[in-house]
Amino acid sequence: MASNEEGSIGTSLHGVTAKEHVFSFSADASSQVVPSNDPTSKFALPVDSEHRAKVFNPLSFAKPHMRAFHLGWISFFTCFISTFAAAPLVPIIRDNLDLTKTDIGNAGVASVSGAIFSRLAMGAVCDLLGARYGTAFSLMLTAPMVFTMSFATGPVGYLAVRFMIGFCLATFVSCQYWTSVMFNGKIIGLVNGCAGGWGDMGGGVTQLLMPMVFHVIKLAGATPFMAWRIAFFVPGFLQVVMGILVLTFGQDLPDGNLSTLQKSGQVSKDKFSKVFWFAVKNYRTWILFVLYGFSMGIELTINNVISGYFFDRFNLKLQTAGIVAASFGMANFFARPFGGYASDVAARLFGMRGRLWILWIFQTVGALFCIWLGRANSLPIAILAMILFSIGTQAACGALFGVAPFVSRRSLGLISGLTGAGGNFGSGLTQLLFFSTSRFSTAEGLSLMGAMAVLCTLPVAFIHFPQWGSMFLRPSRDGERSKEEYYYSSEWTEDEKRQGLHEGSIKFAENSRSERSRKIALADFPTQETGSQTVV
Amino acid sequence: MAIHKIILASFIVYLMIQFSHGATKERLFSDLEKDALDVTAKPSRQGVLDAGIDKLSITWKLRSTAKKQANFTTIKVKLCYAPVSQVDRPWRKTENELFKDKTCPHKIITRAYNKSSQSFKYTLDRDIPTGTYFVRTYAVDAKDHEVAFGQSTSEAKPTKLFSVQAISGRHKSLDIASVCFSVFSVLALLVFFVNEKRKAKLEQSK
Repeated sequence: MASNEEGSIGTSLHGVTAKEHVFSFSADASSQVVPSNDPTSKFALPVDSEHRAKVFNPLSFAKPHMRAFHLGWISFFTCFISTFAAAPLVPIIRDNLDLTKTDIGNAGVASVSGAIFSRLAMGAVCDLLGARYGTAFSLMLTAPMVFTMSFATGPVGYLAVRFMIGFCLATFVSCQYWTSVMFNGKIIGLVNGCAGGWGDMGGGVTQLLMPMVFHVIKLAGATPFMAWRIAFFVPGFLQVVMGILVLTFGQDLPDGNLSTLQKSGQVSKDKFSKVFWFAVKNYRTWILFVLYGFSMGIELTINNVISGYFFDRFNLKLQTAGIVAASFGMANFFARPFGGYASDVAARLFGMRGRLWILWIFQTVGALFCIWLGRANSLPIAILAMILFSIGTQAACGALFGVAPFVSRRSLGLISGLTGAGGNFGSGLTQLLFFSTSRFSTAEGLSLMGAMAVLCTLPVAFIHFPQWGSMFLRPSRDGERSKEEYYYSSEWTEDEKRQGLHEGSIKFAENSRSERSRKIALADFPTQETGSQTVV
Repeated sequence: MAIHKIILASFIVYLMIQFSHGATKERLFSDLEKDALDVTAKPSRQGVLDAGIDKLSITWKLRSTAKKQANFTTIKVKLCYAPVSQVDRPWRKTENELFKDKTCPHKIITRAYNKSSQSFKYTLDRDIPTGTYFVRTYAVDAKDHEVAFGQSTSEAKPTKLFSVQAISGRHKSLDIASVCFSVFSVLALLVFFVNEKRKAKLEQSK
């Protein structure tokens, strides 16, 4: 447990460096030797005792693990394209529908608000129907909303349609849920960072795609006011195609689909009321809620306003503004996984305290560059500020999900959902405050939003784990409270502990000793890996 | 990283192009000669005009009080937003610096300068948004710099404005396609769902 090599246990790169013995830590002996009827031998990737993949190979499409990964992140990517499809076309839409700045701002708020509720509900949907149907519901039931954009004639219709389309951002939860059941907890940080980051890229790609599609349709002979409506058919069509692909080629769980497995009682469930209570009672959940609101939140806001900003302020053509705006979202390809990786490296050196510092640093630096972006008067400086801002903020998103899995073992799924909802909440709030009125120019709004983000990132200093400490405080010196087991078993009542329901948390606690700083970890005896843990 | 190297390189090139333009004194609207031309814009009918269908009869001629007419080479006629259409719409804002000014984005016609009275019958373009408008003519010199202007409305209290209603951009074929795709999406989902439930039931009953 004290090893600090790349790829050692407790890092998100375990299983990826190709130097480890992948079968040496199986839970039970039956999966070690390979008899002819070994169930794990039918998988293309090495798996653990729960048949979750222990290796992440992004170039493969093997079923069920890598296929689930690719279907998951591409579905999420498609939903981002649809949700922000209107943003680069606003200069045309505002003339066609006679919108004021207030109308545009309100529609932007509406586009991210729907997902606050749908993301919370999606966790339950995935539990009941499986990740495939969760994703497909989100894709195929919101596709009609995208097509309905062709009916909009004024501000009310525009706002209503953007609100309805926004519900599809719940695919974030179904995608992360799907990867969490398919990949082992050791590598889930990297896998989720990639799935989240590559999905978020859709917000950037749409800024390129929609003006291009619009331009092609105009060349084919349509007037501008009709061309933008036709352009919306493209994201809608993509959603339907992805929905069908997910249902045809996807698989809920490594061993099969949920409906077939539910009969054999393999899927056990915790009581929702308990899970909810422990998530809500934990103050760290709410700090993460605010933090994500000012990393992912401002990222979503920027997706809505940045193209129009470059079009209006620097007088760029629609396609050029789109290209510039796209580079913001495209940085997600490497910036978010990088944030998760940096968090893992910091944890190896300084434990959880390192993760918290990295999170604070990335998010604050990103916010400072956002302030600079609003103040930049020339195009090259604005582009430079925007790129640095995008890297900082997106790395912060990745780093936050390096911390979140450790806040709770019992309520992890709900905390991920709440945190995700916090992102949308932050986006709605910042759009409402800074970009919906004529009180601030867009440039002033950007700087003010950056300043607010700097302030709202300070609460990370208050996240304190008794076993690992916080940014400024050491871990508790009390013999009992300084153990990870104490923290994770405090989520179970005495009754439940007597029934042994907290066994999974104990296993998780043992493995989470990797979050101690190097100095303390070296003093510990290495413990035996007793099995993988579920990170759902 | 590659795409960022490209963007970084291109912005450095852009920087150099910007600097090579040299410093230019910003030309201001307040420096232009006011009311150098008499402009009238008569709508083809009463009430709100329809974009793409209705016409404007525009005439302009040099006013006797004009001073800089020696420099006039071209006349640019433009459609401009009245103040009421600029409220809460910063992308249509009036600015004194000419290159920033967004009051008159729609070009009507450009003609060589002629001392005698000129006229033009303008059919409203199909991408004119809904709003209230007036017409302004800029007199431009050989260097393509504006020197004077005239407009169809008075500056103090805007009079003689006309309203335009934009085309909706909707079309029946679009509406039908939209409904068809939507129905297909929901139906496909239902078919998959029902099918799988049925297969699971069959499995269980075996």
